[in-house]
Amino acid sequence: MNWKNYQNELVVLFAFLVMFSGYIYKNNTIADEATTAIETQKTLSDMKEVIALKKLWTDKKTSQRVKQLKSIVSVSKVKWSNKRKKIKASYRGLSARELNSLVTKILNLPVEITLLNIQDISKSYSVEFQCKW
Amino acid sequence: MNFMGKDRELILVYSSMDSVRDMRDINVMVTPQFYTLKKEALPVKYAYQAKRVAPAIFDGLLEDSSEYEYMVFRDGEEDEWTLIAYNLNTIRVFLLSKGFVIDKISKLFFAQQVVEMFDRPVAIGDSEALVSLEGSVVVVPSIALSEDEKPSKIFDSSFAPKRGVGIKNASANSIISTKQSVILSMIFIAFAIMFFVEGARYGSSSQAELKIAELYEAYPSLESSYTRDSIIKKYKTIDKTERRKRDIIKKISIMIFDGVSLASLNIDLNGFKANIVCKDAKVSKRVKALAKKDGFKSLQIANSNDILIEGSL
Repeated sequence: MNWKNYQNELVVLFAFLVMFSGYIYKNNTIADEATTAIETQKTLSDMKEVIALKKLWTDKKTSQRVKQLKSIVSVSKVKWSNKRKKIKASYRGLSARELNSLVTKILNLPVEITLLNIQDISKSYSVEFQCKW
Repeated sequence: MNFMGKDRELILVYSSMDSVRDMRDINVMVTPQFYTLKKEALPVKYAYQAKRVAPAIFDGLLEDSSEYEYMVFRDGEEDEWTLIAYNLNTIRVFLLSKGFVIDKISKLFFAQQVVEMFDRPVAIGDSEALVSLEGSVVVVPSIALSEDEKPSKIFDSSFAPKRGVGIKNASANSIISTKQSVILSMIFIAFAIMFFVEGARYGSSSQAELKIAELYEAYPSLESSYTRDSIIKKYKTIDKTERRKRDIIKKISIMIFDGVSLASLNIDLNGFKANIVCKDAKVSKRVKALAKKDGFKSLQIANSNDILIEGSL
């Protein structure tokens, strides 16, 4: 077979193959880009989540804020134990109002509550509270 | 090795020639028997302009001018042009009939291109000769030549001019013509360029990637996905559990309304338990409904209206 006789077809075929390669290249790039975009979005949302969670649960001001639990009621009603990043607090004879403000304060602190025990003893409340951060 | 075809054997082609055998790579030169010659003074500067007007100049001289192609070159003097009209198909058919293999022929020349070389007659066959007469190469009968004009010059490769015509018919067996192939190829290549450019554009960095790069710079420790996953796992668990504890406390506090009081509430790492005192059965029923709505397990303490609500974290 003499290829020179089909020179025109070969030239067109070559040009077509170049175009086809371009098309495949473009499609692959778009597909890769879509995959990369999904991965990138996931990484971005992961990072934002990590940063937000770390900021919330490892806040350096938490220690200061937890100390406020000691002074929220009169000192005579509180037994306080603070070891590193753990506290054990025992409250006795709290009124309903004092209980409410204590619980509200606890709920707003970014700490891990390990124990919260509220007991109603003749209309005055006792609270056992343990947490860490 | 000869890539240019310059040193190929040059064969003079004339109508009365014998068939050839043993074809090697050659060039051929045709006699005026295969072309029509015209010399004209044309007010043009370039050969392509002269070539464009050539069909008009040969108008009426050729049988079917659409089958003809033209070669033009300057005739030495200013504005003087030599125009050659030739039918490549006729030449090809003749060459094939004489045993030539078209693919072995590199270039086709015209005797007129080297008119100065025919200052002495060159024999073509037994009875004819080629000779230059008034600036044109013509075929004359040998008998018409005087004794001192008898053919004496030997035709060889030195007659080959610089320019020639490609004779190989690349598109002879082609489905598509050369013009069509050029147009199609250009379209395909244009699309190819478009696709490549578009592809390259998609490959460039996105806004999200730039944002990530910024975050990596600010938090290098988070560059590893393992570190990120580990941190997420740790803090998500804490976040989820702590939010659940706070949610439980809020929901139980909603259950404390008129006629209800909290006897005890205990939340630890495993779950919660709340003892709620209700003043009557109606209130007790309402608390139970609220507990059910919140998905808590509720139990009525025997012989009382009090409710025990419990659940896990």
